[in-house]
Amino acid sequence: MRWNIAYRTLFYDRGKLIAGLVGVIFSVVLVNIQGGLFFGLIRKASTLITRSNADIWVGHRGMHNVDFAHPIPERYRYVAAGVDGVAEVQPLRIYFTDISLPKGGYENVALVGLSRSTTPGGLTYDVDQPSMDWAGRNDAILVDQCDAGKLGSPSIGELREINGRRVRIVGQSNGILSFLITPYVFTGYDEAADICQGDPNDTSYLLVRLQDGADAARVCQEIESLLPDASAMTAEQYSAVSVNFWMTRTGLGISFGAATILGLLVGLVMVGQTLYAMVLDRINEYATLRAIGLTERELLAILLCQSSLVAMLGISIGLVLTVLLKQSFSTPTAAIEIPLFLYIGGAALIFGICLFASGLPYLRVRRIDPHTVLQG
Amino acid sequence: MNTTNNSLTAAVQLALGVQTGSATTSDRPAPALEARSISKSYTIGGQSRRVLDGIDFRVDHGECVFLAGPSGSGKSTLLSIMGFLLSKDSGELFLDGQRVDDLGEAKRTTIRREQIGFVFQRFQLIHGLSATDNVAIPLTLGSMGLAEARNQAAKLLERVGLGEHRDALPSAMSPGQCQRVALARAVIAKPNLILADEPTAALDGDSGKAVMELLRELTSGSSTATVVVTHDPRIFPYADRVCEMENGRFK
Repeated sequence: MRWNIAYRTLFYDRGKLIAGLVGVIFSVVLVNIQGGLFFGLIRKASTLITRSNADIWVGHRGMHNVDFAHPIPERYRYVAAGVDGVAEVQPLRIYFTDISLPKGGYENVALVGLSRSTTPGGLTYDVDQPSMDWAGRNDAILVDQCDAGKLGSPSIGELREINGRRVRIVGQSNGILSFLITPYVFTGYDEAADICQGDPNDTSYLLVRLQDGADAARVCQEIESLLPDASAMTAEQYSAVSVNFWMTRTGLGISFGAATILGLLVGLVMVGQTLYAMVLDRINEYATLRAIGLTERELLAILLCQSSLVAMLGISIGLVLTVLLKQSFSTPTAAIEIPLFLYIGGAALIFGICLFASGLPYLRVRRIDPHTVLQG
Repeated sequence: MNTTNNSLTAAVQLALGVQTGSATTSDRPAPALEARSISKSYTIGGQSRRVLDGIDFRVDHGECVFLAGPSGSGKSTLLSIMGFLLSKDSGELFLDGQRVDDLGEAKRTTIRREQIGFVFQRFQLIHGLSATDNVAIPLTLGSMGLAEARNQAAKLLERVGLGEHRDALPSAMSPGQCQRVALARAVIAKPNLILADEPTAALDGDSGKAVMELLRELTSGSSTATVVVTHDPRIFPYADRVCEMENGRFK
């Protein structure tokens, strides 16, 4: 009967029910979209890594961010290639420079030099081009179509200048975006050093691909023991390190976290206030129930039932709305990436908050004086 | 619960876990409810005002007693004290011969749930529940399942002439019908005591009489005691006894 009283009285007052649902839905959408934007943004900190086909990244000792590479001797590639379990090693260079814009200005870019050597295992880096022929041209570059706005709407065949050198746009990558404001521009490995006048004996990273069944951790250890000035990490490890760099050094996690908590608090207040208003509207009914013999615990059970119903309904609607919003508004530039744990964790958290929110009306119910009912 | 006084006494003992005391000094059966020297004061505007001044009152099983008197005479306060909704300042309260004053909140709630049926001036039905579900509430507070409780409630509603309104919400019923639902809710668990606070005040004359006839009909032939607070002299004929109060005392 407590359940019957709880849900019938809840659905009887549809206006209040809708207000409560709006609070929960708001919280669910806010938490998931906010979290999804955060994960989408922070994922850019490791896009260069996650879009590679490499199993292990080798860079300078203490490497902490994929974009800020310190050069290492390219000859290290031969040492790494000799480690048991390594299938192939290809170098990758990153330089910060600028590119000319059609209207005469310049835009800072990260020029990424990719090896054009092909192996039976394929490329260690794939930029969505059918072949690496483009990298065989001395002046060829690729730009990302998502950076078109920053780069002045580049078109295929268009000529630009990078670091004073004429280059030709021969293709476009898709969705390889930097966490920094500087777009990635891809060119051949040797051409990158040539354009930026880098030391041809140095490289930024060595991208290692493992043989089937090789132990990545062991290979990393062995590379580091052979190359004391280098660090070797699996792609997952270096991806996490790069993400962590921005999280801890920019306070990004705290900012997003604070905004998310604020959203949760707003939802909590809305749900709590709605339940409280419902109780105030029905205070005589609660007093009547108290008078005819319901205990405080039973009244609390009714409130918890109502909170649970509001929570479950609101969470369900909120999740559907979140998925729709994600599909409608997520772009490579402003990616909304909501991992499963965020859906589940957010729902569980909001459910708990709704139960907690029923504490406010419960405090009011506890103070009900049934005698007042008899007074009419 | 409504069979004999002995079984009532046992039920109260079981419900309360109270010690058996000598509430009556004669061979006369213990009253359903007895109040001795009940006093109650309210503090209004910083000044203490005595509302009940050493009231003695009893109602026997099967008896219907009206408490009448002007506003502020203490009728409703006495009713609330007898219904364990309000604490007295002093005095003693006996239910079926068992002293039951100064109980904790949990036991007071148990007594209200198991021993007392309430009828309120403004019906106090739960607006989101149908007539059947409103009437079924007291049954489901025990161990009875909702389906069986609804079945019994439907039968009782049939008996009070609301068979066709079983699924109606309170907002769809007239005041007289609502009060009949409230009466059904008060009697369905066969309580030892029914306390009614001005049950006809919100009704027109005919509806008021109909409600009182129904109340007497529902309690006739049972040992349920009834205490009714009222201003309405038109319903006095339904009382076995009318006690008039004035300034916290019986006249």
